[in-house]
Amino acid sequence: MRALAAALALAAGLTLSAGARRQAPQRSRAQILALGERMYREGILPSGEPLQGVVKGDVPVSGAAFTCRNCHLRSGMGSYEGGVATPPITAAKLFQRQFWQFPSLTEAERIEAGVAQSKLRRPAYTDGTLADAIRTGVDPLGRTLNDVMPRYDLSPADMAILVAYLRTLSAEVSPGVTATTIRFATVLTPDVTAAEEEALRVPLDNFIASHNRLPQGFGNRMYRSASGRDMSLSHRQITLARWRLTGPPATWGAQLEAHQRREPVFALLGGMSHGDWKPIHTFCETRGIPCLFPLTDLPVVSDTDWYTVYFSKGLWQEGEAAARFLAGRPEGADPGRIVQAVADSPRARAAAMGFDLAWQEAGKAPVKTVRLPAGGLQEAALREWAAKGSVAVVLWDGPGAYPALAALAGPQLPVVFMASGLLGPRLGELPEAARASTYVTYPFRAPADEPKFARYANSLLAGLTALDNTERIYTRMYSLVEVLKQALMDMDRSYYRDAFLDALGMQKDRVLPDYERLSFGPGQRYAAKGCYVMQLTPGPQPVLVKRSDWVIH
Amino acid sequence: MAAVRGGTWGVRAGALALLAGLALLGAEPPYKRTVEAYAVPDVTLVDQDGAKVPLRSLLASDKVVVLDFIFGTCTTICPVLSAGYANLQQRLGPRSADIRLVSISIDPENDTPKVMRGYLKRYRARPGWTFLTGKREDIDRAMHAFNAYIPNKMSHYPLTLIRTPRSGAWTRIFGLMSTSEFLEECRNAGIQ
Repeated sequence: MRALAAALALAAGLTLSAGARRQAPQRSRAQILALGERMYREGILPSGEPLQGVVKGDVPVSGAAFTCRNCHLRSGMGSYEGGVATPPITAAKLFQRQFWQFPSLTEAERIEAGVAQSKLRRPAYTDGTLADAIRTGVDPLGRTLNDVMPRYDLSPADMAILVAYLRTLSAEVSPGVTATTIRFATVLTPDVTAAEEEALRVPLDNFIASHNRLPQGFGNRMYRSASGRDMSLSHRQITLARWRLTGPPATWGAQLEAHQRREPVFALLGGMSHGDWKPIHTFCETRGIPCLFPLTDLPVVSDTDWYTVYFSKGLWQEGEAAARFLAGRPEGADPGRIVQAVADSPRARAAAMGFDLAWQEAGKAPVKTVRLPAGGLQEAALREWAAKGSVAVVLWDGPGAYPALAALAGPQLPVVFMASGLLGPRLGELPEAARASTYVTYPFRAPADEPKFARYANSLLAGLTALDNTERIYTRMYSLVEVLKQALMDMDRSYYRDAFLDALGMQKDRVLPDYERLSFGPGQRYAAKGCYVMQLTPGPQPVLVKRSDWVIH
Repeated sequence: MAAVRGGTWGVRAGALALLAGLALLGAEPPYKRTVEAYAVPDVTLVDQDGAKVPLRSLLASDKVVVLDFIFGTCTTICPVLSAGYANLQQRLGPRSADIRLVSISIDPENDTPKVMRGYLKRYRARPGWTFLTGKREDIDRAMHAFNAYIPNKMSHYPLTLIRTPRSGAWTRIFGLMSTSEFLEECRNAGIQ
């Protein structure tokens, strides 16, 4: 213990004695914790070098390929995968005695439940025994840990930093949670109508009402048993606040801060905007607040952001699908003869950005991109591209482009790509003559296949007055509820925001309304990865026909 | 008394804790090894460079072929399998050209060529390690062909398949190997 204190002092850059020279830079506690966090999450030592460890006796592993976070997850809640149970290593778990039975009960609860004498799994770790376990893989009872847990060769100073960090890992229950309640909020931007709000609110409220009635199902007999306590103690009443934003987007951040100050929430559920979700995304990222499945076509697309989990990348994903599809077609072999025409709107630009990035990832030379005038696509422009030998036009524009497409329909019309997210309810009005050469990206399950899945949501619709689901609001709130229920169960009593997101990340794939498949994984933030490329059939009642797989490779 | 009343739940919780404990304490049995014959399906997958790869011809090699099923955001099993691949390449040095390492994604929706390239870079993969993604039904066919089908990626298990080029037989290894065990298995398959 004294040795470890000395090592911590070393880590902090303190002098050990009057004669000792400072070996390390002076570090504040915050700096030590930041270094510890980097070791835990990224596998990088304070020196900047990767951590080195050994698994399976003789397999060296290093740095980013094998971090603590890999298996124990960001919150430290642990995981179960491939037959290997990775135990939780939150501060509360590591530094308290652990028992085989009812491991989630606290010491006081064990006494109350009459299981205080059950068999000890291991004593509480001390800084010293924890350092030994990390270094040698031997626990305080002398037992050897599974050899897929790396043995990390850390210096005393580095070990002290990691242990100092582990003492803080998920040590405090996140804001928004009390002994009886977990608070959520849903964010609505000013452009959301009352009918849309109702479609969003009713399924969530119905779920919450049934969830809050659950304790009535905990029979007295069961409740008084240890296992009953184990289960019922994780239950919290759910409240859902409505955070309706007003005014211009630049002021939303401050409004969200004020809401959170007044009434801190654990996480945001759903929410909706017809515009850019970025102000809310940024608030969540800055304040470390999870946000599950907001309804937006304009999410923030990032490989690294952590707190917001979207259904999909929205219009960006439609652009991506068009690029991947086109890259595999004969026209895609000649990027010099492809024109991308982009309307002057954030929605069209999002599709173009998704297209450009996926096109580049496919190893293709950039296509010519033109910005459409305020009136959208003009017949003359389309005629000019056709005359110059363009083989494909990627057209990020709305139904305003239909007359130009109709005018050129026929052999002179190049292959055209459009996004259903930009065409909206007028998708079916695509001029019949242009349908044979026009492909439409469609980020949902094919309409013909959807009804049986959409029916799932009926269980949460009691009280909903308007059943119009053009915007797919209530069906997607149903999916949110399904995913949320599982995450709450998996999170159990680890009421830490990171544990909530970790629990989401470890969920199995789900087949639910709207999207062919929702899939998860640690750090995955866009659950639906697919988008069809479709064509409309001829005739007055056209239907969409798939021309691609759900996920295009 | 209260604990007795909660009997069945208690037993169940205890059994779960015991299972978890066995895994934690390294009490899992050594890996299970069998020799199998597999018919490789005629599917075309996509590698980390976006190139289309016919699986059958990739695996019907004169070289020793090692195959596993992993995914880019996997927590526990795949990092161990992949560290095993990386270390095998390292230990074989120039001879690593004599072995063909293949990983097939079981999360084809997320594992795009870009994700797969990032993964291989993280493990410092050398040339000769191919990571494949593709249509879900093609991946499913590959999993079925190797008796490795899992309906959901989160419930996968550690499996390594090693093909002996001379006989075309596959050594099926269920469990995780140390590098010395892995090297020994590769020698059995014909690596000098």
